[in-house]
Amino acid sequence: MKRHMLFELSLARRFLEENRGQTLLIIVGIGIGVAVMVFLSALIDGLQANLIQKTVGRSPHIVISNAEYAAADAVTARDGSQVLLMDATQKTLRPIVDWRSVTTAMIADERIDTVLPVVDGSGLIRRGKVSRAILLRGFDLQQANRMYCLNDSIIAGNRNAQDGSVLIGKSLAEDLRITAGDPIQLELPGREPLVVMVDGVFDLGVAAINQRWLVMDQHRVAALLGTGDRVSTIEIQVNDVLGAELVAREWGVRWPHYQVESWQQSNASLLSALKSQSSSSYTIQVFVLLAVILGVASVLAISAVQKSKEIGILKAIGIRTVSVSRVFMLQGLVLGTFGTLLGFGLGLAMSQAFVVFAKQEYELLLKPVTTIVIVIATILAATLSAYLPARKVSRINPIEVIRNG
Amino acid sequence: MVDPLIKITDLTKDYGEETLRTRVLKGINLEFKCGEFTSLIGASGSGKSTLLNIIGALDRPTAGTVVVDGTDLNQLDDDELAHFRNRSLGFVFQFHFLLPQFTVLENVLIPYMIYAGPANPTMEKRAMELLDRVGLSHRRDSRANAISGGEQQRVAIARALINQPRIILADEPTGNLDTANTKSVFTLLRDINGQYCTSMIMVTHDRELAGRSDRLVEISDGMIIRDEYLTNPTEK
Repeated sequence: MKRHMLFELSLARRFLEENRGQTLLIIVGIGIGVAVMVFLSALIDGLQANLIQKTVGRSPHIVISNAEYAAADAVTARDGSQVLLMDATQKTLRPIVDWRSVTTAMIADERIDTVLPVVDGSGLIRRGKVSRAILLRGFDLQQANRMYCLNDSIIAGNRNAQDGSVLIGKSLAEDLRITAGDPIQLELPGREPLVVMVDGVFDLGVAAINQRWLVMDQHRVAALLGTGDRVSTIEIQVNDVLGAELVAREWGVRWPHYQVESWQQSNASLLSALKSQSSSSYTIQVFVLLAVILGVASVLAISAVQKSKEIGILKAIGIRTVSVSRVFMLQGLVLGTFGTLLGFGLGLAMSQAFVVFAKQEYELLLKPVTTIVIVIATILAATLSAYLPARKVSRINPIEVIRNG
Repeated sequence: MVDPLIKITDLTKDYGEETLRTRVLKGINLEFKCGEFTSLIGASGSGKSTLLNIIGALDRPTAGTVVVDGTDLNQLDDDELAHFRNRSLGFVFQFHFLLPQFTVLENVLIPYMIYAGPANPTMEKRAMELLDRVGLSHRRDSRANAISGGEQQRVAIARALINQPRIILADEPTGNLDTANTKSVFTLLRDINGQYCTSMIMVTHDRELAGRSDRLVEISDGMIIRDEYLTNPTEK
C-alpha cells in the first residue's frame, strides 16, 4: 500500500464517522441482507444434505451390473454395415464373472468407501398357507453392515445369520407373523423347497426393503442358486455422495461392457427437485445482494453530495481525482466488511434460534465454500456500488465550491 | 535579467457555449517577481477571481500561456496540475475551508498527507511551528469547526505554508471577517511575505488593504487598467 492511501483510508474513516447514524444504518442494512443469505444457505443446504442422506445414506451410491439389452431392430449404417439398435426396456441381467478383479480394482480407488458384491435371486417364502414373494440377497454381512447399517437395524434376534439362517425384513415378518427363531419354507425356481431358520428381523426404514428382503451369506445364496463363483451386482458407496456420478462415469469408461449407474442417474427427479430448490435460493440471494448494492450506492451518493465542499477544497489543494474515487470506494469496502461481519453473526444466531425453536429433524449446514462466496460477493458488491458515487464526486470542480462558499 | 516567477502572456478566457460566449479575460499580460505582495482589485465580475484561478491552476485559459517558475501550465494534464497546486502553491480562500472532520493540526498537514501519507515527527514539528506562527498552537487538537472564523482563516494560512510553496494565492481572505480579524489576518500575510519571501497574490475588495501592498493591479472588464508599484517597489 502506498503511503498516500493511508490518508485516503483515514479520510474515508472520518467521513463515515461523521455521519455515524447513516453509517450504522447501512451497516445494519447490509448485515440483515447477509444474515438472510447465510440463514437461507444453511437452511437449504442442511435440508438438501438431509434429503440426500435419507435417500442414499443407507443404500449403494453406485451399482455395477452386467445388463444385456435385447436387439430391437437393425439398421444399415452409411458404410453398409449392420448396426443393432438395442431396446432399453428389454434388458436381462447377466452374472458378473470377473467380480473379484473388479472389486479389488475399486477398493484401490480412494474415493470409494465400501464395495459389496451381491448375489441376488427371487423366490417365495411360505408359512402355512401364506406365501410372499421375496428378494434373496446374498452378501458378506460385515461389508454389508458398512453400507446398510444392518447391525443397528436388528429389532429382534441376532444379526449373524449363521449356519444357513436368514435375516428378514420387519414388514415381511409382521405379514407372516414370524419372528426370530421361527422356521420358514423357502422356494426358489427350479429347486426343491427347503426350510431355513429366521435368525433376526431388521428394520432398514425403507418399506420396499422391509417387505421384500431376505438376507443371507453370499456363499450360501450362491450355493442355493447354483450360480457358482459369480455375482449379480456390485454395490458401491463413495466418500463424497455428490461425487458419485463422476466416479461412476470414470469406471463406466473403464468397463464399457458393464452398466455403472450412480444414484444420481436412478434418482433424476429428486435431483432436479433439489436443483430447482437451489436455484430459487440463489435467486433470492441475488436480489438480496442487489438490495445491498442499491443501499450502499444511495447512502454514498448522499454522502457524496454532503461532502462536496470537502472534496472541492481537497482538490484545490491538490488531491488527485483517482484518490477521491478511492476514498469513496474505501467507504464502500469498509461498510461492506463491517456489514458482512455483523451479518454473519446475525445469520448464525438466526440459524441457532431456528434449530432451538423450530425443532426440525435436520441440521443446518453452512458450507465453507458458501461462506466464502457470500463474504466475497457482499464486500465486492458494496465496494463496486460505490463506483458511481465515487466517479461523480471525483469530478467535482473545485472552482464551483470556492465560488459558492 | 532574472526570469519572472510568474509570466502571463496574452491570456484570454471565455465562458459559455458558442452563441452565448462571454469573454471574461481579454488578453492579459502580467509578470510577478519573487517575494512580491500584489493586490488584485476590481469590481465584481471584472475577471479578477478568474485570473487568480488560472494562475492557481484551478482553471485553464482559452488562449495564452501561464508559466510559473519555468513550468508552462498548458503542458500539464489534470493530475499534474493537481500535483503542481499541491507542491508549488498555497491557497487561502474567502470561506476558510478547513475540513471539519479533522483537528486543527491535521488540517495544517493535509496538503502534505495527500501525497505522503501520515506525517512524520519532522513534519508535525513543522506544522506546530506554523501554528505557533499564526498564534494557534494551543488549538492544535481542537476540531476545525470548533474554532472561530478568524482562527480558521489563520489555520488556513498555516496550511497554505506547510509545503513551503513559493506562491500564495488568496481570494478575498478577509472578505468574511470582522475588522479586528481582517487586520490580524492581513498583517500575518504581510509578515509571512516578508519572513519567508513568499510571493503573495491577493484578490480583494478592500482598497485600504490593497493600498498596503507592494503592487496594485486593477482589472476592469477583463483588462488591466492599472498596474503600479506602491511606495518602495521591491526588487527582490
